[in-house]
Amino acid sequence: MSGAGGESWPPVPGVEARNGKFPGPSLIPALNAIQERVGWLPREELAALSHDTRRPLYEIQGLVSYYPHYRTEAPPPVALHVCHDLSCWLLGSDERIAELRERYGGEADVEFVEVSCLGRCDNAPALAVNDVPGHVDDAADLLAAARVRRAEGEQVEAAHRDQPWPNDPYASGEQRYRVLRSLLGGDLDAEQVVQRLQDSGLRGLGGAGFPTGKKWELVAAQDNHPKYAICNADESEPGTFKDRQVLNDQAHLVLEGLLLGMAVVGAEEGYVFVRHEYGPEADVMRDEIERVRADGLLGDDVLGSGVRLHVEVFVSPGGYILGEESALIECMEGHRGEPRNKPPFPGVFGLWGKPTLMNSVETFADVPVIVERGAQWWQDQGVGDSIGLKFFAVSGQVARPGVYCVPMGTTSRQLLDQAGGVAGGADLAAVQPGGASSNFLGPDSLDVPLDFDTLAEAGSMLGSGALVVLAEGTDVLAAATNTLRFFRNESCGKCVPCRVGSHKAHEMLTAALAGDGLDDAAEEQLLELERTVRMTSICGLGQVALGPVASVLGLQRGGAVVDPKPRG
Amino acid sequence: MTITAEPSAQVSTVSVTIDGHELTVPEGTTIWTAAKDAGIDIPVLCHDERYDPVGVCRVCVVETGGRVYAAACVRPCDDGMEVTTTSEEIDSARATLTELLVADQPAPEVDPKQTTTGDNLLLELADVFGVGSGNLPTASGRGTDHSNPVIAVDHDSCILCDRCVRACDDIQGNDVIGRSGKGYSTKIAFDLDDPMGSSSCVTCGECVAACPTGALTNKPINEVPIRPRTELDAVDTVCPYCGVGCALTFYVDRERAAISFAEGRAQPGSKGRLCVKGRYGWDYAASPQRLTTPLIRVDSAYPKGPLSGDVVGDSDGAQGGRSGKRRKPGGLVPYDEVLPHFREATWDEALDLVADRLGGILAEHGNGSLAGFGSAKCSNEEAYLFQKLVRTGFRNNNIDHCTRLCHASSVAALFEGIGSGAVSTTYGDVLNSDVAIITGSNATANHPVASSFFKQARRRGTTIIYIDPRAGKVADHADIYVQIKPGTDVAFYNAVMHEIIRLDLVDSDFVANRTSNFDALAATVALYPPERAEQITGISADVIRQVARVWGEANAGVIFWGMGISQHTTGTDNSRCLIALCAITGNVGKPGAGLHPLRGQNNVQGASDSGLIPMYLPDYQSVSGDDVRGKFEAAWGTELDPTNGLTVTEIIGSVLTGGVRGMYMMGENPFLSDPNINKVRKALSALDFLVVQDIFLTETAEFADVILPATSYLEKDGTYTNTDRRVQLGRKVMDPPGQARPDWQVTRDIANRLGLGWSYESPREIFEEMVPLMPSYTNLSYDNLGSTGKLYPNSDPEHTDGTVVMFDERFNTGDGLAHLVPAEWLPARELPSDEFPLVLNTGRLLEHWHTGSMTRRSYALDSIAPRAEVYLHPADAAEIGVRDGEMAQVRSRRGTITLNVKVSQREARGNCFIPFHFREAAANLLTNDEIDPVGKIPEYKFCAVSVQPVAEAGV
Repeated sequence: MSGAGGESWPPVPGVEARNGKFPGPSLIPALNAIQERVGWLPREELAALSHDTRRPLYEIQGLVSYYPHYRTEAPPPVALHVCHDLSCWLLGSDERIAELRERYGGEADVEFVEVSCLGRCDNAPALAVNDVPGHVDDAADLLAAARVRRAEGEQVEAAHRDQPWPNDPYASGEQRYRVLRSLLGGDLDAEQVVQRLQDSGLRGLGGAGFPTGKKWELVAAQDNHPKYAICNADESEPGTFKDRQVLNDQAHLVLEGLLLGMAVVGAEEGYVFVRHEYGPEADVMRDEIERVRADGLLGDDVLGSGVRLHVEVFVSPGGYILGEESALIECMEGHRGEPRNKPPFPGVFGLWGKPTLMNSVETFADVPVIVERGAQWWQDQGVGDSIGLKFFAVSGQVARPGVYCVPMGTTSRQLLDQAGGVAGGADLAAVQPGGASSNFLGPDSLDVPLDFDTLAEAGSMLGSGALVVLAEGTDVLAAATNTLRFFRNESCGKCVPCRVGSHKAHEMLTAALAGDGLDDAAEEQLLELERTVRMTSICGLGQVALGPVASVLGLQRGGAVVDPKPRG
Repeated sequence: MTITAEPSAQVSTVSVTIDGHELTVPEGTTIWTAAKDAGIDIPVLCHDERYDPVGVCRVCVVETGGRVYAAACVRPCDDGMEVTTTSEEIDSARATLTELLVADQPAPEVDPKQTTTGDNLLLELADVFGVGSGNLPTASGRGTDHSNPVIAVDHDSCILCDRCVRACDDIQGNDVIGRSGKGYSTKIAFDLDDPMGSSSCVTCGECVAACPTGALTNKPINEVPIRPRTELDAVDTVCPYCGVGCALTFYVDRERAAISFAEGRAQPGSKGRLCVKGRYGWDYAASPQRLTTPLIRVDSAYPKGPLSGDVVGDSDGAQGGRSGKRRKPGGLVPYDEVLPHFREATWDEALDLVADRLGGILAEHGNGSLAGFGSAKCSNEEAYLFQKLVRTGFRNNNIDHCTRLCHASSVAALFEGIGSGAVSTTYGDVLNSDVAIITGSNATANHPVASSFFKQARRRGTTIIYIDPRAGKVADHADIYVQIKPGTDVAFYNAVMHEIIRLDLVDSDFVANRTSNFDALAATVALYPPERAEQITGISADVIRQVARVWGEANAGVIFWGMGISQHTTGTDNSRCLIALCAITGNVGKPGAGLHPLRGQNNVQGASDSGLIPMYLPDYQSVSGDDVRGKFEAAWGTELDPTNGLTVTEIIGSVLTGGVRGMYMMGENPFLSDPNINKVRKALSALDFLVVQDIFLTETAEFADVILPATSYLEKDGTYTNTDRRVQLGRKVMDPPGQARPDWQVTRDIANRLGLGWSYESPREIFEEMVPLMPSYTNLSYDNLGSTGKLYPNSDPEHTDGTVVMFDERFNTGDGLAHLVPAEWLPARELPSDEFPLVLNTGRLLEHWHTGSMTRRSYALDSIAPRAEVYLHPADAAEIGVRDGEMAQVRSRRGTITLNVKVSQREARGNCFIPFHFREAAANLLTNDEIDPVGKIPEYKFCAVSVQPVAEAGV
């Protein structure tokens, strides 16, 4: 990857001072190389890197202190990372973490860390030993394996679903990438692709729901080259793991969607930005890229079309915030992954200040489906006014957690039924329909169709497509506080409201949960904090951080709809 | 890409409604700026117009009809946008943000800002919104850092507004401060989260000036408390150190009769920036070691010679010294060793003695027997009076000053080439340059604020080419760094010109219409193909070609140079090459292009302008010109000597041969600053009479018959002319200590005792006498210099800042053309040998000034850089067998010194560097007093030395 942020003078209006601060290539590959070689980042190596690259020491400090991947001390050989976020918490992670800490925390070769969501909520409470994911019950086996594997360097493979998914236009054994071939072969043109997307009504499934056809049209219209395309495979919100499954089982659709996007908007370089916890899935994507390259669909002149297409996997150095599109771009440029003030948006001013097409995994995967099967087919898949198929990750206190592909507009109740209902046949206390950032909905909202507008009307959102199930008896305020802790921990710290507001609110709630609960004044203060943090934060993380808490507190405020059930 | 300061003519506009006001603003204008221009005040914390916006504090949020608020400081106005800047909801959000930040702040009574300057912006905002920390949980204990001698860091007070980060990077280009960590635990950090005092921070204090809270504050210097500005007396003046001439304001505590703190002040050149010397290095003036009474040498101290151990020196053995004891390295002139050899006197007694002795020598030995060294630290008025005294009272032109030791060769070449020794454009004009060559200049150390503009220009697209044997910090900011072998500049530039001519990148129109002698130049540079230059300079022919192409293809190129060009026996030739390089490519006389010798002393430009030069009357009017002399003879009412006087180095030589017998030194310390100290020592001892006028007891004063206590720049009014040709008023900040008197008064009083009948009562009166005699200063007066000074030439100082770019139509030469002077490369005079295998380069440190008499008495500066060091390449150090921090002995054919080793990546193999500030290891004991034949400047930048571990040297 190349590029130089320093070329962007005079700045595009709205581009803030720090943008493009460090001209020259990203130092992240160099840092990764040192860590790969030494196992961590010794000071002397960092000083030498600074000297050799003529880049400021503080730039390096900013990176290594920001990204959890980087170690500035020699770590113990075995890293035991245990998730403490909502889906795992609902299944008793607090107690299990205490047990594991008791058992392994003192072992000299083990580094025991409580971490944010690992994206393995279907196998909760989840952990990872040296990045190999598993269930807390597997801790002993994984530790033993880690101690052996360190010597042998064995690879872990992702588990695939054996049944085909209903969206896939390619039958088993059939030649894939038909749509891409048509586009490059001239049987289909870029305008037609955009038109079909627009006709289909597809909206981005990363959370914001921006119309995909419109985004592609906008980026295609930019007269500023080179352009870039990025597949955002950095879903990291508690309860969210459907993109993991899509990557795993339908990497061909994701990659075809990305390549179509590149061909349509005129980007020659594309990236799949994948969270580092998805190591096995990243390998699936790498294999897919190599397969496609072997088929001649990547290169300087793909299929003789004159089109140049290159794709590589970029593994995140860690942090939920990188799922925010501008933070992701900052990371890829080698900066601290802090969201930019917007506008300008990435479609105009993205990677290296160039127009950049960014969609999430599921959105890209939908593109070949829609172009191949037609906009009308896609529209017909939805229930009622809803359109298309939608992947949901179902987790928490549910009988059969996992990823489900259902028609958009399916209700929470129907989805919950497919997943076998509340675990142990218990009554339902609440759901989060769209991941940790979505407001809680009570049992009386179970028949709300799962779709952008219907959930918004009900006071929540489709969010990241993650239905988290809370059984009767769960302290919902504590659950909301758990989600707040996640956002507090994952806040980049760039802007005041999110950095300080999420922390202070979490302190207040933690004290309340441990003590006498919230009095009216404290509740009022939390609601004012929620409003301020929502209205003033730079990015979506801050804007939603206190939402779930407020939704629990805010019955009568028209927000959402759950009885607050503080402990004690 | 050329960036002009002027907005481009065609700017599209947008219409926006802010709080009901319909406004039309240029596209890209932020809401905050549009509102401000319409008189609507939107509160801010992180935003400051000095910096580009970041939008992180969110206090400036406004309603624009979106789902969430927009940060006005960074959000551009869209056409048709409707903005509401205040409402109950918006103010409530701002109040909550303020409350969140206040919750983690120290209490006002212990807040580092509230308890000093008292202007904590966050607390002011909290008052506006009527909030405290409310019921929010509070937190503290994020730590402090007091490792820097003059700057305190309090992380509890930090609100992460990124102002310091932007100040450090975008304004000063020092790149030290950043955010470390993530989320709520984020903090500002220096380098790899190092203590500020051991980081690469250069203590410019720009971060302190930027910080809105108590996170970064100045520490009191010498226990003078820092108080709110309203309780202090603000005096606007000019920095006394380098030729950049930054404007600053001293805040004076009149109750304590002391400076509390200093701040940069807006001025078109320096734009409010300062470096460590300007911001923190002023306390020397309050040193208890200031001279406060006239002193007369006692009879027992004759015959004259050095008085302190260090000044006695090695080469002479101990016979000249009176104390007989050897001092340990470190520090200043030992007053206890020197003062017993002097007695206090009244001004009248001392001045009478001076006049009597100087007058006596003149009467006995004739007009060639006296000489004076003026100072580039004194004001224009003082320089003018001093040279007038020499020319009219001493009856000769033996008047010189330290410009001889810095840019004399540059000035000689510039006069010959373009008819003017001043810069053709300002340092700030670099923002308009496509390419800038910085050569022979460690600008980050010696012209720090000018260098900040070079670094800033690069960020905006100017290509920086740095050509210097030492990889100074400028190299870190260069697009092309050329580590040339010392003393090979002529070969390098000839090859660059060779290549420019070969590639037909010559500006033929400019050459045809604005220059002469191109053919001769072309014939000479034809002998320097890049391959030949590669052999001489050690720079690959490809790099030479690259430099030629980048320079030749640029629309506007500027050259900044320093002592690395001038302080050679080929200094004039070096400068001739730079002039030719600019001229053949048409790079003089247009924005972003030109010749800029970076002036060293605060007033070296002004002292030279005012006539402290043996060949020139004020404003470079030749003493041999009959018309010129006639004009001055008429003005001064006396006959003038038509022959050129002696230069600094020639005067020293003349003393040894019995020519010059009496000297008057105003603020010069040739003992440390001149080359070949052992020779200077002999000369000073040999003088029949020496009067030294200074603010401290200097090494030179040890040889004096009379010592007169002078004032520092803080204690007098006067004008100073900086490297840009900016004439600025320096204002009196403090009263002089004891009986110390302004230099111009002392000079006047000596003149009167020599019968000259001067009646000057103020610097203003002197300036008014000077201006009509100095065509370049026409129109300037104390009344129109204003608070930021004026550039000369200036046709209308009431209304304009003056001329930035000179020579846009003709040069100052007789025929108006630039005279191209070819130069052949000549090696340095003293080349390395088996016995002296290393090349010694000398120069300055960021923290110190020349002979150290000021800076080594500054708490901040001496704390940061307390000791003398020889900088060695790691491989040379290893070969010699010395490690970083160990003691080494450095020896040349002229002397020997002992000092610490600093292993440095910045030196080239075979070269070493010693700063000359340290009397205990005086670099000029080693340097060569061979001089440039035209500029008469000594070869400070090149002599052969050996370096040995102290143990082996048997010290």
